[in-house]
Amino acid sequence: MQPGLLVISVRTLAISGVATLLAIVVGVPIGYLIARRPFFGRTALLGFVNTGMGMPPVVVGLVVWLVLVRNGPFGPLGLIYTPSAMMLAQFLLATPVIVGFTTASFQALPPRLSDLLRSLGAGPFRTAWLLAREAHIGLLAAVMAAFGAVVSEVGASMIVGGNLARSTRVLTTAIVTETSRGDVERALLLGIVLFALSLVVSLVLTVVQQRNRP
Amino acid sequence: MTDVLLEKVELARDGRAVLSIPSLHLRADRVTAILGPNGAGKTTLLRLIAGLERPTAGRITIAGSAPDPQQRRVAFAFQEPEYLRRSLRANLELGLRLGGVAAGAARARALAALEALGIGELAERRADRMSGGQRRRANLARALCLKRPIVLLDEPLAGLDGAAYMRLLDELPSLLSQFTATTVLVTHSRDEALRLAEDLVVIVDGRVRAAGPKREIATNPRHADTAAVLGYSVLRAGGRRVAVPDAAIRPGPGAVMFDAEVENVLDLGDGWDVGGRIGEVRIHIGLRHDAAPPRPGDRWMVHTTVAYELE
Repeated sequence: MQPGLLVISVRTLAISGVATLLAIVVGVPIGYLIARRPFFGRTALLGFVNTGMGMPPVVVGLVVWLVLVRNGPFGPLGLIYTPSAMMLAQFLLATPVIVGFTTASFQALPPRLSDLLRSLGAGPFRTAWLLAREAHIGLLAAVMAAFGAVVSEVGASMIVGGNLARSTRVLTTAIVTETSRGDVERALLLGIVLFALSLVVSLVLTVVQQRNRP
Repeated sequence: MTDVLLEKVELARDGRAVLSIPSLHLRADRVTAILGPNGAGKTTLLRLIAGLERPTAGRITIAGSAPDPQQRRVAFAFQEPEYLRRSLRANLELGLRLGGVAAGAARARALAALEALGIGELAERRADRMSGGQRRRANLARALCLKRPIVLLDEPLAGLDGAAYMRLLDELPSLLSQFTATTVLVTHSRDEALRLAEDLVVIVDGRVRAAGPKREIATNPRHADTAAVLGYSVLRAGGRRVAVPDAAIRPGPGAVMFDAEVENVLDLGDGWDVGGRIGEVRIHIGLRHDAAPPRPGDRWMVHTTVAYELE
């Protein structure tokens, strides 16, 4: 194995994994609340969320760069060109995906299910948990879509991470680097590793998703 | 004693009054049928009692106090039963566990209720894959196994037909007496109401038109709305309005007479079915085969010996 490959792979998994987890923590409750009951502006809000699902990573990267860059509003935090900056950008990319899929999953449940749980005596949190279990197929699809989107993006990571070999180079930005250097063999190897990584994560989630299915 | 008392209860949606109940008393440990046409507000009344909806005004007292919706100990069998994607037994246990019953006891009660409803063999089957009749029975088992002091049944026989309907209708009275509770049963079928309930409440357009013991209400409709819901024909006789049970109209002159117009005559093999109208009201009269039937277009004198004068 080429030196550094393992480090880059683990770093990729860590950055995209944390970004996806944060997006789940924030996005699933938001999606649940949007799905719960109609409110003024819900359709408009969902329109924004669905637009966000297809947001170009370079644009998100650019905005995060503007915010975190040394002379920007959050420049003093010193986050620019760090893994944290990449996590933030990927979190912003993943969250609309999670919110959009979560809303759709909960809206697809029978509407009377929550009445039933309430009448059985379930409090609001218990109701949410039981409904999430019912909607788990869609929710895991949300996680897979979000992780797949951030692990494969290159634009945002490049802009806010800076592709620093020692700290912020991930599989996608490494592929760009090796290709521009003319080391196509290594670029291809990195591509295969990236693909394998996505495959393993998706397979694990799919197995969980499809348990107890006919 | 779990009496349910509604006082000055109003519910409006989008500025429109859906329910308006100055006073209604559902008596403890009796079966009360809420009877009314579709859209009268019957299900909404159940949802208010269950605390799933809050009244715009007024108060609902249960066993002498006005508990928070979360604290209302009700069992609600919805008209369209939903189940979680797990075994039927697990679905029943969930409600019991949420009510604080220990795991072992919950399992025993769930299985006992499924046995009582005759679907014990379905316990381990996935609950979201049952036939219509099985869903109905499971819905009742889920509500009854909770043994809550108030049981709300929304059209428990809806969607069943033929033999499945008759069987469950036959079984229900003994089931309801087995699980004693203040039971409120919503139906639009007069026969179901008369068969299953001890008390009747007639609701039309969100208003209570009649409430009281079954016999009293069924034999004294008072208002035209109530009479129509209870299956009476509302007819005019000498400037007054009367409610007449369809089966009580006979041909020939009598105490209260009507002029009917014959529209069609059907040969049923062992008799005739004469269809016609008294004013705007359609009637059907059965005649024995040896009687000479009238012909379509004839004017026909009919009478009844049972007629309730309406206000």
